[in-house]
Amino acid sequence: MSAFLEVRHVSRAFNSTMAVKDVSFAVQQGELLGLMGPNGAGKSTLFNLIAGVLAPTAGEIIFEGKPVTGRKPYEVARIGIARTFQIPKPYRQLSVVENVMLSAFLREKSVAGARSLAEATLADVGLSDYFGTPVGSLTVGLLKRLEVARALAMRPKLVLFDEIMAGLTPTEVGAMTKFVASLPSRGITVVWVEHVLYAIMKTATRMVVINRGEVIAGGAPAAIARDPAVVKAYLGEEMDLA
Amino acid sequence: MLVTGAVSTKKPMRVPILPERGRLSWFELVLLLVCIGLVVASIPSSLRDVILLSFLFGGLALAWNIAGGYAGLISFGHAAFFGVGGYTSTILLVHYDITPWIGIWFGGTIAGVFGAALALICARLRGPFFILSTLAFAEVVRIGALNWSSLTGGPEGLSIMPTPGLASMVFASKATYAWLMLGYLVVVYAITKALEASRFGYYLFAIRDNEDAASAAGVNPLLGRTLAMALSAALTGVGGSLFAQYFLYLDPTYVISPELSFQFALLPAVGGLGTAIGPVLGSFLITPLSELLRSYFGNSAAGLHLVIYSLGLVVVMLYFPSGLAGALAKLARWRPFS
Repeated sequence: MSAFLEVRHVSRAFNSTMAVKDVSFAVQQGELLGLMGPNGAGKSTLFNLIAGVLAPTAGEIIFEGKPVTGRKPYEVARIGIARTFQIPKPYRQLSVVENVMLSAFLREKSVAGARSLAEATLADVGLSDYFGTPVGSLTVGLLKRLEVARALAMRPKLVLFDEIMAGLTPTEVGAMTKFVASLPSRGITVVWVEHVLYAIMKTATRMVVINRGEVIAGGAPAAIARDPAVVKAYLGEEMDLA
Repeated sequence: MLVTGAVSTKKPMRVPILPERGRLSWFELVLLLVCIGLVVASIPSSLRDVILLSFLFGGLALAWNIAGGYAGLISFGHAAFFGVGGYTSTILLVHYDITPWIGIWFGGTIAGVFGAALALICARLRGPFFILSTLAFAEVVRIGALNWSSLTGGPEGLSIMPTPGLASMVFASKATYAWLMLGYLVVVYAITKALEASRFGYYLFAIRDNEDAASAAGVNPLLGRTLAMALSAALTGVGGSLFAQYFLYLDPTYVISPELSFQFALLPAVGGLGTAIGPVLGSFLITPLSELLRSYFGNSAAGLHLVIYSLGLVVVMLYFPSGLAGALAKLARWRPFS
């Protein structure tokens, strides 16, 4: 039993509110794990716990057999975990390619090397036409793609995607879904939080569902969709309409 | 380097006309020639004062800009580093007979240590809280210098013997000082340009623009801020030493004053924060102006010069928020014939 990423009995309290309560799950290398749950379920908190932005009040997070609990975000980034932000956080005064170069510097120390890695990554997500564009003039959809490019330019082993589809047009969602689905074959394990459920249900190899900070279900997407606990979390109590 | 993408946008190397980040332009080369011309030309002594002060303050504004403009660490306490640099080289010269040519390096180093200390003390502070703590930090240093009389001479200050000599870095001719100050300006400018084109420079931009994102990309924000403040403070300290060698007198009330700290911040703000050319243009505009206003109103209405250029600053902030360098960049994008 040696999972790639293991979340073991992790809890996090904000004052007296438990945002994440005794959550455990494991991710195998090469998986595309979907993480879903209604608003306020604790998905982003969980990401921040894995990425080192928050420290858990209890529990442990293990990556490749080593504990990452209590590490700083930049240390977590250096061991191969990249993440995107639900609300894009670009470097406002830099161009698109420079935004991505800052991630590329993690693997390419020279400016020229980082620039070519950044350009290649931007081409991957379909932003080839925007290298020199100031980020201030990008639409939400393009900013989300920039977030993805920034995460991937770090050449991570594991990437945490936090709602990269929100605000995208249906065509963009289709293209992005296909792109994310291709990542495991390139050696990148994915944990993906998404509200655009049809995209994630179609792509994920496995789903974990959380509600009110707790894991309420886990398994194949098709099974999850029929799970009464999941249906209840999203739609409330079953009603007798007859 | 392996070019992976299909798109390779390698432009042929050309020298741009107007300043660009990380590259030298004709504008900068011509400006340097003009500066050299001003040193070489035979001009009245009072004008030479203004010119060499413009060089010195240009270098100091550039040094401030490394922290304030590139790393986003707006400091109103840089006079502390200026004072530490000036006092260090002067104490070494006066008390220990060590030549300023060596003392300057000590001055820069100790000022750099003070800068790192400030960054670490204020590690958790951002925005206005950071700014206020830099102001407080400089006050602590000033009061320290006032009271440690055995070392600093206290409120009476420290004087350097005005006997010219290469070893004591005291010169009879103002032209020699002008060369010295121009040399300082050019060195700080070269460091700034190198910084702009380096990985470390990009780290600072990232920390300034979005610390969370920088951290998620593997950048250690506290280390970046500390190094930026240390470099900025060290270069400011060197400027302080040069100032001491020119004025031959230091007292805490002037060299560690909030007024001087504001001046260091004002010049890059007028010229253009986070650009290399901005602080230089800011100094070339403001330093002569403030000297002029001071000599006009210095006796009849003391302090009026400050009122006038504070108003000037308000106008610049309102109408040219990106400073003189921003106006230049606009000019660079202007295509009248297309």
